[in-house]
Amino acid sequence: MKMLLNECKIEIIRIFRNPYFVFWSLFMPIVFYFIFTKVVNTGVDDQDLWNKHFLMSIAIFSVMGSAIMTLGIRMVQERNEGWTTWIKVTPLPSSSYFISKMIGQSAVHLFSIAVIFMAGIIVNGVSMSFVEWLSCAAWILIASFPFLALGVLVGTMKRVDTASGVSNILYLALAITGGLWMPMEILPKTIQQIGSWLPAYHYGNGAWGIIRGQFPEFKSIAILTVYLLLFMVLSIYIRRKQEAV
Amino acid sequence: METIVEITNLSKEFKGKKAVEDVSFSIQSGEVVAILGPNGAGKSTSILMMLGLLHPSSGEVSLFNQRPQEQKVRERIGVMLQQVSLMDALKVKEVLALFRTYYPNPLSMEELIRLTGLQESELNKRTEKLSGGQKRRVSFALAMAGNPDLVFFDEPTVGMDSTARKEFWARVRQLADAGKTVLFSTHYLQEADDVATRILLFNEGKLVADGCPSTIKQQLLKKTVSFKAGGDFPKERFLTMTHVSDVYEEKGRVVIQTEDTDHVLASLFTEGTPVSDISIDKGRLEDAFEQLTVEQGVS
Repeated sequence: MKMLLNECKIEIIRIFRNPYFVFWSLFMPIVFYFIFTKVVNTGVDDQDLWNKHFLMSIAIFSVMGSAIMTLGIRMVQERNEGWTTWIKVTPLPSSSYFISKMIGQSAVHLFSIAVIFMAGIIVNGVSMSFVEWLSCAAWILIASFPFLALGVLVGTMKRVDTASGVSNILYLALAITGGLWMPMEILPKTIQQIGSWLPAYHYGNGAWGIIRGQFPEFKSIAILTVYLLLFMVLSIYIRRKQEAV
Repeated sequence: METIVEITNLSKEFKGKKAVEDVSFSIQSGEVVAILGPNGAGKSTSILMMLGLLHPSSGEVSLFNQRPQEQKVRERIGVMLQQVSLMDALKVKEVLALFRTYYPNPLSMEELIRLTGLQESELNKRTEKLSGGQKRRVSFALAMAGNPDLVFFDEPTVGMDSTARKEFWARVRQLADAGKTVLFSTHYLQEADDVATRILLFNEGKLVADGCPSTIKQQLLKKTVSFKAGGDFPKERFLTMTHVSDVYEEKGRVVIQTEDTDHVLASLFTEGTPVSDISIDKGRLEDAFEQLTVEQGVS
């Protein structure tokens, strides 16, 4: 247990020391938030609601990115450099190594959510009840699991370049088709239709529901669960195949 | 004496190609064993199987009478693999501290720091900022973190300069003196000869010789000059020569076993011995020997 906690702590330290993480997961989302709520006139009817809505979008954008990219690329790196092999000959159980990565990553996500919510309060004076803030944070944290699983799937790739390229494309494509940059309603019809079957839209949709006083839709929860299972099964299958040697 | 490593009929095939073929040996506590062989002889594959990182196609490995994957085994071994990697974004001190938490009876932090041989300022550097040599020293210290009874080094001196190599072997000798069992692979005959108490000679996936360094070296260096002798051959005179280890007859030919074939030939001709059909042979370990690096470059 002590081993696991220590391993989590180390993972958290490593993520925060990664300049890409700080830039892409904390700095960029906040800049986006500032631009699309303060600088650009989006012409929405209800500015307060938009400020809240976009705050959720951008927090989700941040967490989704770090789940897919930070986690996935680092797993490929550690395997290529031989660290993963070395860890296997130490008494640290492989499960602890893996679990601590998930816990560490989630702890960092919680921090990102807190920082971005604070930015919302400071930049636009977004105000919600304590329960609403908490529900939103809980949703963003828990519904990030399918994306962590996607990160693990990316982590099974052989080369860092491939992993980084693929995860970048996945990340941006999911963010756009999921309505995280601009609302789904203003996207072309075809993209809307595709996006409504992809996980990012439903990730956002849950939080957008909460700020409007609704419980996340069942359809969103169901689709996210299916994606979680799909990514898990795929990465377990690929890992088994790779380890069969 | 306790049997620490027990290998029985170990084989590994990669896509129909045999990398390791029917290898068996056992290692007792306190032995310093070199797995010697040219590149591609199956040294690393064998070590990876001993560590439980590769599944054997057939045969068995046991360390401390258990499967190598057992936690209890992991707690008693230290490993330095060929590819040295350190977790990035961490300071050297943090990695050392992290590894100490993995083992029930770790070495003290001071001891580990001493093993890295790094200065205080370097200990606070992130691992990715270290030079290749420094990384190797840190990974050596990490291999020792759990105060292991059995230590594996896979080609430990590849890429080291002569000073680093000397330092490294001095440390290995200290381990041996402390009663640890050490197993390392190398393709330098000299290293195996200098450091090991026993050499396992591998060639083309097979264990071709197993013994103390002097025996192995003799087998490796043994060459023969053979010829048809006209009339009586002065066997006694050749036996007394310094480089000759044996003279015998085989299939109607006289065979002289020697380390220095040139010298024997010169003697044959100066003595005017009537000989014909001379042939020089490097013995049965010729193939392995040809590809082995006997001397270690310039040191």
